[in-house]
Amino acid sequence: MPSVRLEKVEKRYDDIRAAEDLNLEVRDGEYLCLLGPTGAGKTTALRLICGLTDLDSGKVFIGGKDVTDLEPERRGTALLSQTYSLFPQLTVAENILFGPDIRDLPEEQRRRTLANMLDLVRLTKRPDAFPGELSGGMSQRTALARALASGAEVLLFDEPLRALDARLRISLRHELRSLAKSLKITVIHVTHDQDEALVMADRIALIRNGHVLQIGEPSQVYDNPVSPFVANFVGQSNFVTGRIIEKGEKTVVRTESGMTVFARQCAMEMGEQVVVGVKIGNTEIAREGDSFFEGIVERVLFEGRNLHVDLLVEGTIHFSAKIPSWRLGKLASGDKVMIRWSAEKASVFPMPEKGLREELKVE
Amino acid sequence: MPTVELSKVSVIFGKVVAVDEVDLRIHDGEYVTILGPSGCGKTTLIRAIAGILEPTRGEVFIGGKNMKDVPIEERDIGYVFQNIALFPNMNVANNVGYGPRVHEKGIEEQVEIARKYLELVKLLDKMQMFPSELCGGEQQKVSLARALATGAKLLLLDEPLSALDARVRVDLRYELRRLVKRLGLTTVHVTHDQEEAMSVSDRIVVMRAGGIVETGTPAQLYTRPLDIFTANFVGETNLFEGWVTHCQDCKSAIELRDGTIMNVVTCDFAEGEAVVVSVRPEFVFPFTEGMRTRITQTIYMGNYWRIIGIAASEDPVEFDVPVAEGKLYHEGQEVYLMVNPKAAVVYQRPREGIAEAVKLE
Amino acid sequence: MARLERVLEFISRRSIRKGWLALVILFFLSFVIIPTIFVLTYAFTNWNAIDSVVLNDPVKMSMITNAIINSFEIAGFVTLIDFLAGLPMAWIMVRKKFRGKQLVDTLIDMPLVVPTAALGFSAALFWGITPGDIVNPLGLGVVSSPLLLLILLHIVFSYPYMVRSLSAILEQIDQNYETAGRTLGASPLTAARTITLPLFRAGLVTGIILCLARSLSETGGTVIALATLSGSGGYNTGPTLIDGWKKIAQNTDPNYNAALAFVSILLIIIALVLMIIIRLVMKRVHLPMGKVWPRPEKLLSRGFFPKLKDSSTMVFLAVAVLLPSFFIFTCVFVFNPTSNGNWSGFGDSIIYSFIVAGVVTCVDLVLGVPLALYIARGRSKRLPEVIDTLVNIPLIVPTAALGYSLSLFWVGGNAVNSDIGLLLVILAHIAFTYPLVVRNVTGAVEEVDPAFEETARTLGAKPIQAFRRVLLPMIKSSILAGAIMAFTRSLGETGATRAVVSNANTAPNFIVTLITKAPKDLYSAAMACIILIAISYVLMLGLRYFTRRRKGAI
Repeated sequence: MPSVRLEKVEKRYDDIRAAEDLNLEVRDGEYLCLLGPTGAGKTTALRLICGLTDLDSGKVFIGGKDVTDLEPERRGTALLSQTYSLFPQLTVAENILFGPDIRDLPEEQRRRTLANMLDLVRLTKRPDAFPGELSGGMSQRTALARALASGAEVLLFDEPLRALDARLRISLRHELRSLAKSLKITVIHVTHDQDEALVMADRIALIRNGHVLQIGEPSQVYDNPVSPFVANFVGQSNFVTGRIIEKGEKTVVRTESGMTVFARQCAMEMGEQVVVGVKIGNTEIAREGDSFFEGIVERVLFEGRNLHVDLLVEGTIHFSAKIPSWRLGKLASGDKVMIRWSAEKASVFPMPEKGLREELKVE
Repeated sequence: MPTVELSKVSVIFGKVVAVDEVDLRIHDGEYVTILGPSGCGKTTLIRAIAGILEPTRGEVFIGGKNMKDVPIEERDIGYVFQNIALFPNMNVANNVGYGPRVHEKGIEEQVEIARKYLELVKLLDKMQMFPSELCGGEQQKVSLARALATGAKLLLLDEPLSALDARVRVDLRYELRRLVKRLGLTTVHVTHDQEEAMSVSDRIVVMRAGGIVETGTPAQLYTRPLDIFTANFVGETNLFEGWVTHCQDCKSAIELRDGTIMNVVTCDFAEGEAVVVSVRPEFVFPFTEGMRTRITQTIYMGNYWRIIGIAASEDPVEFDVPVAEGKLYHEGQEVYLMVNPKAAVVYQRPREGIAEAVKLE
Repeated sequence: MARLERVLEFISRRSIRKGWLALVILFFLSFVIIPTIFVLTYAFTNWNAIDSVVLNDPVKMSMITNAIINSFEIAGFVTLIDFLAGLPMAWIMVRKKFRGKQLVDTLIDMPLVVPTAALGFSAALFWGITPGDIVNPLGLGVVSSPLLLLILLHIVFSYPYMVRSLSAILEQIDQNYETAGRTLGASPLTAARTITLPLFRAGLVTGIILCLARSLSETGGTVIALATLSGSGGYNTGPTLIDGWKKIAQNTDPNYNAALAFVSILLIIIALVLMIIIRLVMKRVHLPMGKVWPRPEKLLSRGFFPKLKDSSTMVFLAVAVLLPSFFIFTCVFVFNPTSNGNWSGFGDSIIYSFIVAGVVTCVDLVLGVPLALYIARGRSKRLPEVIDTLVNIPLIVPTAALGYSLSLFWVGGNAVNSDIGLLLVILAHIAFTYPLVVRNVTGAVEEVDPAFEETARTLGAKPIQAFRRVLLPMIKSSILAGAIMAFTRSLGETGATRAVVSNANTAPNFIVTLITKAPKDLYSAAMACIILIAISYVLMLGLRYFTRRRKGAI
């Protein structure tokens, strides 16, 4: 099974840089999630890999072979689009067998492939149905079976779960991943949903403005983000800006208004303007005890497993915290609470050039 | 002040019963979400309230008045569409000012009202732009401002966030509730996203196949759902089949398929009854004894680790452990799991089987 | 199998694909575009001839001036009436559901398929005051003015174009916009006027241009209508002038070629200029959407006003479009059969027409579908856009002028023997049917999401395989629809045929001779019309069947 590599790929559409110095390496048999906001260039990256879009400069390698000038039908990559693109005039079985038909495989092999696929995606009852008669989940599974049956060694999923209901998405995440893993196929899965990426990926690649910001295992990307954008996109974060007043195992930062907060060790200089970011799930709030500063509870929102608490700090700064639901009833709007976090859970970033607000913008 | 009441409302298209004799009452100032899978009839229901379609049977009352034969434009509602529907040839200011305009307000007043509501959604600086120049979240906020600018006190939201990116949805849902509460509006919000429903609503109405399954506050539906469909749909849960072997002082012992005994707190079932136990992953924990389970996957969720496995009873199980303990667990490992007896909810075993009872499509 | 592989491999190569495309574009330019506008060069090559024969001849100049003014006068009125009657009809067809809607849908398209010669005769008999020997007592017989009759006639031909253009745009406008307007407090009329109508502009432009072009082009029906009406001698439109003078130029006085060329050039240039002006003006015109009159508009939205509007729209369809078209059928009972009906002659002309239509349709398909694909899939690039604009030219150029320009291009305007005449007629018919096929197929391909073919390619299909297995099934019915439209259009065309070869033996031409030559054989003419109409109708039913099946399958 081959790996996929994008090397210094550039692609422009008029003024828009869809891919800018795009480098990506996907390991053999890996399930990689390409995560980023709309317009980040995720779909472009997929299209460049499978050859539906020509690049301006750079190279694409599949299985070690340079495929930059190779036509899409010869690259061994199958694309699963957001809308599935099931051929409406063919039945489920005929759709699934499209790849084998094109390659003119022997009848016996085709029959076996079809039976395997229908079994794999649990569609054995409806092989003669037409795409128009299928539900969302069934359509998705048919499209998946079709891609798998084509004999492709690399599967490219373009937001495959987006068209489905929220609850269905959660159920199908596991199915999709286990299927790919059991067949030992390399998968590149594009999504804007960080929960989805966390659950499904071996590694997550964060992409923005056509460029990969960070790539690593879910825990890596979550706990050690390289920029405030990543820190806020993969799990929401709180941010505090200030200057470094002490360095060492802990970094101590003082804000303009005189608050002092701790963060983990960092490589920045004393006195430098920095941004401290801490995940809202790691932000602790308590009635009393040590704290960095105080806040007033603005609202408490029940989210099932957790409570989302919005706080107001010093009258103007918005902070949030995610705490377990059993604390519902112990917190109410207007309460005064103490806010703190463990130093090693907070990251330090250099102050972004265009300012923090620009950096965090998602659209 | 508007209340909404539906009395035995049915909507039938040819042979398809989209809404089946629904009774619903929404109180003044309440934020109610109608939650359900695609095709459950929730969109049809909200369109019947708006007057976009007429119920085949039954009646709709807004503010106590029967809405039969009252056309859309006279119902005094604000409506936000799933696909946004901003008028493409008018700029933001004119879009928001459309409502006041058809109510015969003068040009200056139209602009003033538009400014007021655009400021509420923090988009005053985009007044002169056209919808195509805005991104998804901004467009939806303008759509909201437009619906509010008529001064209507009843707001109807048809999957307002479904077309947006996950991240934008999260930010916008808090905005939505904040705005609605500040203006004191009665709101009916339709969605398929249970997380969204729980974070914005005063009350949730769960719908399925044209009918209401149950209603309650987010906390009620999450911690004590009355129906097994709700238990599975609103948040994730584990479902275990078993029989009641012993019941005393509301402490019941349930025997699972493989013989393991699970202790739960419930008074509703007698010995020998076939039941299903629902326990959410955060209330299942590893222990020295209990359900023997083989781990198949560990997933890092940021705030906790989700461990997935198969129990000896052949039921799939998911449980959560704190981040620090994640490294203690790995694929292939065998653990014993206990459940928090008070957090478990027990249901009568559905005749059609669990899979059918919780089916999403 | 391996050989097939290698063939597929060969034709999928980029160079081969590009070569084939170049060939198709070359065909388009040299057989369709250039001959159509060739007559314009006559102004440079033979200016002296024009100067002496035409410009210095006051009789001819006044005939030309009057004819052109008449043409544009008619076209103007027709387009206006079509808009006023067509807009409500488009609304009904797109937005409303009612029993018999399919039937109405079919009826709206009827005039598109009925041969113009037959229609001209039918309408003249219905509306007009005709001389004693060709009176049909069932007709209304109220119109004596040629202008009025021609306006009524041209409405029949152009009405479908307006309705279809407006419907096409209305279908694309999301009805949610109006619903949103209503939730904001606007009555249905206010919402339609202030929200949907402004979005209409593109459809309106297309509808207006097509209507004007169709009216300016109209020859066959006009010739016959004028011949049938009492006391219309001397009244001419641009195309009838060309028609008349072509006969003279071919048979008697070759000097008339200069006059023909001049009229053709004038018609073409004025038509093209008019289209450009319309496009520019429509971009700036603001339809009344500023003011809102809630109370009167609310009144008009409810109660019996909408019903009145809908029923009068239907009445218009019936009386102004359908009755005149089918009136010819009553002639069977009214006129007396003559004993010397030339049925073998008619049979020959039908065969001739079918041969022409058949060859034309085949050529259109083989060379039109690839061009349509090129345009549809190349939307953002320059050359496809240019070609797209060029494709519309033969539709705008009046067919009589087009026919003459073609005869000038290929044979210098001279008379020819019948074999070459057949070839010329075929070439002429290709010129104005080719755009029909291309537009139809382009429209269908554009509706298909490119993701289907792209997915097929990532599943291992070469471009030709993706086309054959995925795209072709989806556009099959549109291709068929385009083919049927081309066939029936060729079958019914009169003006261009007569302008390129005055005495060509096509069926419509046969009918024209039956009516214009003395002694008039009206019974035969009526029967011939009926037969021709019946054939076209059967073909059109086939068209409906195929397009309806497409809508069902997807």
